Amino acid sequence: MKGSKASNLLRRLLYALIAIVGVATLVFVLLRMVPGNPVATLLGEHADKETVERISSSLGLDKPLPVQFADYLLGALRGDFGVSLTLGKPVAELIGPAFVNTLWLALAAALVSWVVGIACGLAAAIHKSTIIDRLFMGFSLLGVSLPVFMVAMLLQYVFARYLHWLPVAGVTDWTGYILPAIALGWGSAGSIARLVRSSVIEVLQQDYIDTARAKGRTSTQILVLHALRNAMLPVITLMAMQFSGLLSGAFITETIFSINGIGRLAVQAITGRDIPLLQATTLLCTFVIVMGNLVADLLYNVCDPRVRKEA
Amino acid sequence: MAQRTLEVSHLNTSFFTERGEVKAVQDVSISVGKGQVVGIVGESGCGKSMIARSVMGLVKKPGKIVSGSITLEGKELTSLSEKELCKVRGRDVSMVFQEPMTSLNPTMRVGKQVQEVIAIHESLPKEEARRRTLEMLSAVGIPEVEARYSAYPHELSGGLRQRVMIAMAMVMRPRLLIADEPTTALDATVETQIIALLKQLAKDGTSVLIISHNLGVIAQLADYVYVMYAGRIVEKGSVFELFDNPSHPYTHGLLGAVSSLRSQTKVLQTIPGVVPNLAHLPAGCSFAPRCKECMAKCGSEQPKLITVNSEHEVCCHLIEGADEL
Amino acid sequence: MDPSGNFDVTSMAEGELGLSSPSVTYEEPASVWHRLARDHKISIVSIVVILLFVLGAIFAPLLTPYEYDAVSLSERLMPPSPAHLFGTDEVGRDVLTRMFYGSRMSLLIGIIPTMLSMAIGTFVGMIAGYFGGKVDTIIMRIADIVMSFPSMLLAMVVVYTLGGGTFNVFLTMALVGWAGVARVVRSETLKLKESEYVEAARIMGVRRFRIIVRHILPNCLPTIIVLFTLDIPAAILTESSLSFLGMGVQPPSASWGLMVNAGRAFLYHAPWLCFAPCLAIMVIVLAFNYLGDGLRDVLDPHLQSQ
Repeated sequence: MKGSKASNLLRRLLYALIAIVGVATLVFVLLRMVPGNPVATLLGEHADKETVERISSSLGLDKPLPVQFADYLLGALRGDFGVSLTLGKPVAELIGPAFVNTLWLALAAALVSWVVGIACGLAAAIHKSTIIDRLFMGFSLLGVSLPVFMVAMLLQYVFARYLHWLPVAGVTDWTGYILPAIALGWGSAGSIARLVRSSVIEVLQQDYIDTARAKGRTSTQILVLHALRNAMLPVITLMAMQFSGLLSGAFITETIFSINGIGRLAVQAITGRDIPLLQATTLLCTFVIVMGNLVADLLYNVCDPRVRKEA
Repeated sequence: MAQRTLEVSHLNTSFFTERGEVKAVQDVSISVGKGQVVGIVGESGCGKSMIARSVMGLVKKPGKIVSGSITLEGKELTSLSEKELCKVRGRDVSMVFQEPMTSLNPTMRVGKQVQEVIAIHESLPKEEARRRTLEMLSAVGIPEVEARYSAYPHELSGGLRQRVMIAMAMVMRPRLLIADEPTTALDATVETQIIALLKQLAKDGTSVLIISHNLGVIAQLADYVYVMYAGRIVEKGSVFELFDNPSHPYTHGLLGAVSSLRSQTKVLQTIPGVVPNLAHLPAGCSFAPRCKECMAKCGSEQPKLITVNSEHEVCCHLIEGADEL
Repeated sequence: MDPSGNFDVTSMAEGELGLSSPSVTYEEPASVWHRLARDHKISIVSIVVILLFVLGAIFAPLLTPYEYDAVSLSERLMPPSPAHLFGTDEVGRDVLTRMFYGSRMSLLIGIIPTMLSMAIGTFVGMIAGYFGGKVDTIIMRIADIVMSFPSMLLAMVVVYTLGGGTFNVFLTMALVGWAGVARVVRSETLKLKESEYVEAARIMGVRRFRIIVRHILPNCLPTIIVLFTLDIPAAILTESSLSFLGMGVQPPSASWGLMVNAGRAFLYHAPWLCFAPCLAIMVIVLAFNYLGDGLRDVLDPHLQSQ
């Protein structure tokens, strides 16, 4: 039993590693498919050949591709992603603080989506097929259907420009995170609400809910003590996976609210054709997603005794 | 007359669907005495489980008790509020369900699920509640109770799970235990064990209402039997009287469809046709369309309960006709 | 009486009439459309909305007197008026006209790459599920890799490599989308593979290819249709996000995301520039989502609502 559990964990870790190396390779190959020397493109037509060659060799771009690939992987392992072409600083130094900003934003957004999503989903499930249900579910479908930029711009327009309650963009204190967190968490709140609703409704139809009623539990007690835990199993998985999504998918929110996070850095890297920076941000985002999936898997195993023993 | 544990009289329970009222239970009267085991038998869908649910106050929407009275040791249950009903359920009446695989909460240890019943109805120190739970678990024949206490349902066999369900139902020593098809989902050998356990409980003084489509289970357990067809009681009697001298053609049919090692017939008889749609019942006797001895009267007039003897009543025009002769 | 005998009444009572569920009458199977119309009226509204958008996209040139790229500097940033129902943009182009042409792009990008990824995902997923073993492992690991790549970022990297433009956006979205489909189809295939009728077909010597085409594919179809309906709005949202960041469709092509991107600079002076395309995105995405929800309820037996 115990051996299979450990080997199961090892297998998952191995899969995670394969996924990360796979993405790293894919990114490397994709970026090398760009015709021409990226340094030459960056410096423009008027740069003299010598400068281009000097910078290229300092970046290791003159080496054979397999060597470049090995250097890149080994560097990544040591946390060395080279020097940013556009910002002139070591990529690691840029990514560290950016990741912290993104982490705060993702945490705030997750808080919004969990609280709103679970509350709406529960309310809809309890009042199934009533006007409350329709209202909350319409609302959450709107959450899933609105583009992030639309929510972000709307919030910015109403609460910052028009009402002057909150800062328009940039983060000086915690209030700066409020609007971006809502904008980013909005969509994920919608999908959580939908899953919570369907999951709670399904659990409430199970036989063991009847058993609990036959024991003399009141409806509220049954909801809290018996239904919720079972209903939350699939929701926890979704929340873990979405958290990694929030961490790695804040491109638009960070751009609109001028937050110096990973997403904005990635956008800058692409518009600036900054290969080292792009490689690093991509790798980081992939790492976050793979870890999120792994954590989701493990959480599910911990929470569901059936899987815990069988796996 | 001594007070009966359960007295159901003229109970009507219906479902109110978009297509009209579906009468699941019609004018049913049932009585269970102290320490008595009463069985209800009938085909699937004849309304047996709805009686159980009505007594427990667990009729699901859009179902509703329309009229009738249900008294438990003289206390009227139909007029109780949901809050008051919660105090009765699990303490005075409890129920064992058909499907032991799904009737236990999969993410809760089984010991906790039994102990929960004590926690709902009594304020006992945890240690004391745990002790009583363990006692109950071993009383229903679960071996190694200490280990089983902290097991999850999926780690137990079907038979053990049903024992846990029974422990859960019995831990408060209720006046009445309702067992709704308690052995249907189990193997034959396990079935025998569970029947023996229920018998023992009845011997110890608990009144039992057992619901089954399986005549064998009823024959082994019950003192008194009600036969149900399409929401109505069609025949009732003490177990020996009813099995030896079935009067309703439906009961005949049920018994004829049973295989017995001693029986001489080689071919099992079957009852032709199916249970009628409860939303569109025939005007007269519901069994008339399937009855071999159907008369003109049967199609138009609902028969009444007629006393055959002190231990036997039946609801059929044939018997009435016999009276007239 | 013999107590050891097995007296089972239901064994000969063929007609089972579940009383535990309120619907006692036997329901004649209604067609998908009838059930949609009966239980999900909003799905029918959604279909109408989607059809309107499709017609608008096809007949765009007939519906508007303006050209989508006709610059008119004298009419810059005009607010909505009878002549320009949704106003004009920063170079005097009619916003409504550009909306019609933009819907072509959004619908094409919603449908074509999604169809591609559905086809790839279904094929690959059935192969992985049916054959299992190494083939399965390899395919699913590749799917894992694709799925652990943040899709927006992958799209951005492809745009970086190959340049922006409609075709590259198509390509990226198809490349990203197949993995999720493959996963679902694979698990569905695994379930079907174990079913008795597939077992029976195998025993009777039906060839694998035939089993897949005749038995597995038709039974995966409801799932695929629902996935397809729900992936279209996701694709539309991705395209608009990409275009909003300037990494999707390139000007002078019209796309709703692109229009929002351009209008953002004038959000406070000419809010209609952003408002109109945002509204369009919202409506079409909502319509597809509602339709997908309805189809899921009607088609998927596991999720059928009571």
